[in-house]
Amino acid sequence: MRTHIKELRARYDLTQEDLAKKVGVRRETILFIEKGNYNPSLKLAHDIAKALQTTIDELFIFEE
Amino acid sequence: MKGKKEIIVSIVVVAGVLLTLFFYLMGTGEIEFNQIVLVGIALILVGLAMYIIWDKIRNVQKGLPGKDERTVSMSHKAGYYGFIAAIWSAVFGPVIIDIIFGYELDGGDVSAIVVLVSAFVFIISYLYLYWKGK
Repeated sequence: MRTHIKELRARYDLTQEDLAKKVGVRRETILFIEKGNYNPSLKLAHDIAKALQTTIDELFIFEE
Repeated sequence: MKGKKEIIVSIVVVAGVLLTLFFYLMGTGEIEFNQIVLVGIALILVGLAMYIIWDKIRNVQKGLPGKDERTVSMSHKAGYYGFIAAIWSAVFGPVIIDIIFGYELDGGDVSAIVVLVSAFVFIISYLYLYWKGK
């Protein structure tokens, strides 16, 4: 799974820590989601998408 | 607030373990090699636990949660591995010690091995998952 979190963070000038504070998780969790090393729950994916003013579909790219 | 309470409880538990080890060593007349090994492993575990607590404190100080869904998931996975290790160490620990050292363990020794092995596997699994991100 790939994500557009890094690009969207840059667009809104947010650091990983800022985004982590917005969605209520630890900074490392954002880091590992960005790297594709951790699959977030649907709720966290929704919260991140909301914080970055986008949708889950646009934020996460699922590859088969 | 919940995170802070957990941190305080963890610090109290670590202090309790250190005090117990201290009194255990003070109460033991001549310290044998196997006791040094057991206390050494316990101290390594305490050190690793302190690292985890310190990491939580660092996050709370930054205004981030001490735990989140990833750390909860990590705890569950590490707990499962620790549980499996406890079962296997109870079954094979005495057998392996008997084969290698020719020494038959009593019930207390087996309990100590089970506790230390499961705790060690839990901490190592937790830290592995912490750094790996899974």
